[in-house]
Amino acid sequence: MGLLFVESLPGPKVFKCKFCGVDSASPDAIVSKEFRGRHGRAYLFDSVVNVSLGPREDRLLMTGLHTVNDIYCSCCQRLLGWRYEKAYSEDQKYKEGKYILEKHMMLKEG
Amino acid sequence: MGGFEDDEPPSKRARASSVEPASLLDSFSCLKPAAPLGSTMARPLPSQGKEVMVGSKGVIKRDEFVRIITKALYSLGYEKSGAVLEEESGITLHSPTVNLFRRQVLDGNWDSAVVTLKKVGLLDENIVKSAIFLILEQKFLELLRNDNVMGAIRTLQSEITPLGVNKKRVHELSGCIISSPQHVLLGFSKLGIESSNSRLKLLEELQKVLPPTVMVPERRLENLLEQALTVQREACYFHNSIDGLSLYTDHHCGKDQLPSCTVQVLRAHRDEVWFLQFSNNGKYLASASNDKSAIIWKVDEDGELLLKHTLTGHDKPVMMVAWSPDDCQLLTCGMEEVIRCWDVESGKCLHVYEKSGIGLISCGWFPDGKHILSGLTDHNFCLWDLDGKEVDCWKGQRSSKTSDFAVSNDGKLIISMNRESTIRLFDRETKQERLIEEDNTITSFSLSEDGDFLLVNLISEAIHLWNIRNCPIRVNRYAGHKRSRFVIRSCFGGSEQAFIASGSEDSQVW
Repeated sequence: MGLLFVESLPGPKVFKCKFCGVDSASPDAIVSKEFRGRHGRAYLFDSVVNVSLGPREDRLLMTGLHTVNDIYCSCCQRLLGWRYEKAYSEDQKYKEGKYILEKHMMLKEG
Repeated sequence: MGGFEDDEPPSKRARASSVEPASLLDSFSCLKPAAPLGSTMARPLPSQGKEVMVGSKGVIKRDEFVRIITKALYSLGYEKSGAVLEEESGITLHSPTVNLFRRQVLDGNWDSAVVTLKKVGLLDENIVKSAIFLILEQKFLELLRNDNVMGAIRTLQSEITPLGVNKKRVHELSGCIISSPQHVLLGFSKLGIESSNSRLKLLEELQKVLPPTVMVPERRLENLLEQALTVQREACYFHNSIDGLSLYTDHHCGKDQLPSCTVQVLRAHRDEVWFLQFSNNGKYLASASNDKSAIIWKVDEDGELLLKHTLTGHDKPVMMVAWSPDDCQLLTCGMEEVIRCWDVESGKCLHVYEKSGIGLISCGWFPDGKHILSGLTDHNFCLWDLDGKEVDCWKGQRSSKTSDFAVSNDGKLIISMNRESTIRLFDRETKQERLIEEDNTITSFSLSEDGDFLLVNLISEAIHLWNIRNCPIRVNRYAGHKRSRFVIRSCFGGSEQAFIASGSEDSQVW
């Protein structure tokens, strides 16, 4: 353990980790709201903060095979979603380098 | 004849050692006739096994090598040793013509010196003229000093001017004639009043003008050795040695010069330690902990750390400490809480700095020791005097909960985190602002002791080194340590701060 590096995001309506309350993503970074995660609806984001990445693994999703990293809240270490490392279908390439956060794990203030 | 001459030197030396000092001169004068024969004898010697080149690489000429050693002996004041080496090696420091020339210069026989100079065999006419000019200039000035104005004028018109070199100086010399005697003395004092001193300096000037093959340059051997030592030190990859260099062995710092073994484990905090800083004089170490306390450790004579004071009073984890310039006081910053100032000697809390409704997240001293700086949770920075009065305040746009800053030793430059990936360098005198733009979020930085370099830790597991002396330039990049969740700090260290150390989330120190 050590001193956590915690960032905060500007603006009133920020997505936060439901369990510890640190900022996770800005609404401006939403790419799509039409994704599904393990627990229901999920959002695709351009960028997120206060997360750490799990190991890279191949995963068969509804849209085909992807290489992903799970992402955890860097503060409380809960699993929040995943990051797309690589997509193998050409029509899924736009996801590479982007993040999924599960709505169920998020608080949205305001 | 050969046999007879071989017998002569030992007996003469014996006689010299037993004869009174007054007779030494006679002994030396007796030796002189033998010298030419000695030189003659020396000539066949190279064919008898003395190679022309010395050294294992075959790049050093024997005669050059012996000459610079001889020169070094004379320079160190070892007149007899120099003379013996010349005699024994058969290699003279200077040729007989050059020796005659030097003697004539020191004796003030200017006309003879000019004649001898032309016999030295110099090929470059310009060099000859420059040297002759220097000799005649000295002649002119000495004549003027001896009030021989007519002689000086004759020298200037008939000897110096026809050379056609350094006309500007010729005009200055003309001005000396017109000047009053006081001005003449003033002008002459630049060259030194005593003839012997000024003639020695003239000889040094001539040495610079003439080719080194004619007269061996001053301190040549010392210069070569200094070059070798400098090259060794610069080639020393792990150079971390305070000891001076030595001629006895090549300089080399092994990896063992870098600290790599744990010598002591400090156990006094009850939770994670988040910050460490040695005092400026190196006598104390301050540690800040998640257990809401800070500890001052004392470094004893053996380098062991002993607990001196435990500083309690914070309601939140202590995330930063800062030593005052005189190391008598210590600041501690509670996380988003207050800053406390402690007396190092007694361990007492001297003052609490706070701003109602806003937490403080970093602290530091001004170089004058009379002001402190802090970062706030509302992204601003505050400058306080020691009584807690707010002196200045300025805005930042930082979005993280850490907020590093630094102040240069002269107090003029304030360095602070600005945006996520920007560091602001603000000159308080010129009100000028410079920015360092990174391509990733900055998590921490530290300033070198001389104030010229900045070490920036990034969220992307990279450390960048910036030269901030003028326009900020990134000069190096380091990678290898681990960072995913925490604030990792790095610092300068080692001899002349030539090394960089960094923490890492894999429990290593890089």
